[in-house]
Amino acid sequence: MSNSVGYLKATAGAIVMAGFMAGTAHAADPLKIGVPTDLSGTYATLGEEVMRAVRFAVEEANAQGGVAGHKVEFKSYDTEAKPDLARRQSEKLVSEGYTILTGLIASGEGLAIAPQMERWGSIYVSTINKADELTGTQCVPRVFRVNTQSAMDAATVKPWLAQRSEKKWAVVAADIAWGRGSGKLFNEAVKALGKETVADLYTPANINDFAPYIEQVKKSGAEGVWVVLAGRDAVNFAQQAKQFGLTEKVTVAGVSFTTDGTVKTLGDAAKGIFGIINYSSTLDTPQNKAFTKDWVAKYKTPPTNFEGETYVGMQVIFQAVKAAKSVKADDVAKALSGGEFDTVFGKLKIRAEDHQLLKPNYFGVVEPVDGVLRPVVKTTVSAADVAPAVTCKMAK
Amino acid sequence: MFIQILNGIVYGGLLYLLAVGLVLIFGLREVVNFAHGALFMLGAYIGFAVSAAGYWWGGLVVSMVAMAIVGCALDATVFRTLRKQDHIVTVLVTFGLMLILETVVTAIWGKAYLRYPVPPLLAGTVDIFGEPFPVYRLFVIAVAVAIALSLTAWLRFTRIGLYVRAASTDPRITSIQGINVDSLSLIVVGLGTALAGLSGVVAGPLLSLSPTMGNYILIDSFIVVVIGGLGSFAGAFIAALLIGQIHNFGAVYLPWAATILPFLLMVGILIWRPTGFAGSRT
Repeated sequence: MSNSVGYLKATAGAIVMAGFMAGTAHAADPLKIGVPTDLSGTYATLGEEVMRAVRFAVEEANAQGGVAGHKVEFKSYDTEAKPDLARRQSEKLVSEGYTILTGLIASGEGLAIAPQMERWGSIYVSTINKADELTGTQCVPRVFRVNTQSAMDAATVKPWLAQRSEKKWAVVAADIAWGRGSGKLFNEAVKALGKETVADLYTPANINDFAPYIEQVKKSGAEGVWVVLAGRDAVNFAQQAKQFGLTEKVTVAGVSFTTDGTVKTLGDAAKGIFGIINYSSTLDTPQNKAFTKDWVAKYKTPPTNFEGETYVGMQVIFQAVKAAKSVKADDVAKALSGGEFDTVFGKLKIRAEDHQLLKPNYFGVVEPVDGVLRPVVKTTVSAADVAPAVTCKMAK
Repeated sequence: MFIQILNGIVYGGLLYLLAVGLVLIFGLREVVNFAHGALFMLGAYIGFAVSAAGYWWGGLVVSMVAMAIVGCALDATVFRTLRKQDHIVTVLVTFGLMLILETVVTAIWGKAYLRYPVPPLLAGTVDIFGEPFPVYRLFVIAVAVAIALSLTAWLRFTRIGLYVRAASTDPRITSIQGINVDSLSLIVVGLGTALAGLSGVVAGPLLSLSPTMGNYILIDSFIVVVIGGLGSFAGAFIAALLIGQIHNFGAVYLPWAATILPFLLMVGILIWRPTGFAGSRT
């Protein structure tokens, strides 16, 4: 019932907005950024990180008088990481004038709203969605991705995998678009290197007990396990795997698995786990040093993986608005495509062919630094080396 | 194989601890308690606060006592006043309670996941048929069995137990016989809520703590209660074990259907016996 009421409101809002948009935009129009994100689901802590980074970026911009004179406003609705809810909440945000969207967590959410962008007259800048399809087979002109997609993660893990002695690998991944995609790419890498996948497991959403999956990994005789789980799943799996003695017996590596956030919760259970790192507060660029310094001054703790990624998204949006000299979604989209942006990683380009930001990627391990466990970057792979093949055929 | 069965019993045991609290409360008050998952969560956080100071077992006791008090307060202020209301009203009120408890816990402890430590006494693994198995999981089974046995004994062999069974069957006739159902239900709701606290603490080291942790397990517990027969204690025990096994074997042999198997079983049971397994009550 509440859904249909919400839909009615959204539709009514859309009509009002259509009338509003027909009017001319003034120079003082605010830049309105909609942040549909998970505030209460499996990835709620990621959503919290997203919100913190958005708030930081907006306050930073407004303290400097806004972006090219435009005051920045943002609004957020809870999507619970559910694609159908993400679609409704995003539509609601757009109908309230927040036509530049960012902050969705699950890839399925991004994929659910991407086809609507044209009709809603909005754009979406992905900061966390990893499924290749978003800027690949299902790419659309109004969707951009500034974070690392799964193909880039796979290109990062492959050299590491090649020099490892483990021959038999198991995959434990979330049974969603991201987990399936990343699992498939890992399987391909394993095969290409002459190794073998002995267990390929996909865990349903919202499960409590990972014991049956841990047991299957143990039974399979795997020497290493690749984990594609995030948020609550990551914490529960790591904790239970540790209790079963799996973590000591086999090599554990993963993506979005041992991030700054989960390592803080897990403590010793995360020690020695390898993983992809998409952003780290320790990156040695002047832009990142400045960002980290301001962040620590405000929050007393360094920015996390997802906070860094979200901040990159905001940097890119702000610079596109400056370049476009407009806050209209259409103009910003033109500035984003093929544009070059100054990010915490350095100067990076959004490829015009598929709207993927070509960024470097990192691989590391959870180690104590000054007595505190955290993911530490061990290898850096350049943007050119992880650049994925263009599979997008965008209708221009 | 044996380890998988054991894992099923662990999860089933956890579900039983939660479901039996629901059964107790439903039996006497006919309240479908949507706040039960939130009470489970609150119990876990209270236990966490004490065990973070180094008293794991103290956390267990404090949580149960605190939750018993919360339960009695709930019964006296909410459930008793709603007695004459329609079922849908109590459902909505308990749903509201759930939201309030989640907000309160978020305000105190925040949203970040918290890790509940394993007590040193139960850390490590034991070898079962040459496979390492966490000692803590055996403890979960032991707690579930102990609660099942003592609850059965209490209901069968004590006078209060007799009253509880009578009131669960028909509260009106029971009160006509001169039994004070209100004070009886104070005990029973208190006990049911204390069990939610107990299961929260017991689940703590297995699941990460978050304000919404109760929602993920409440659905499974409701399935257990429905399959077992609303208000049946033995039925809940059998149903919990069954759901635990289905979760495990589904994950191993029918991974694509693992999430819908419990629901399919529930639908099947309801068609076969609309009152559930042990649903002899009308």
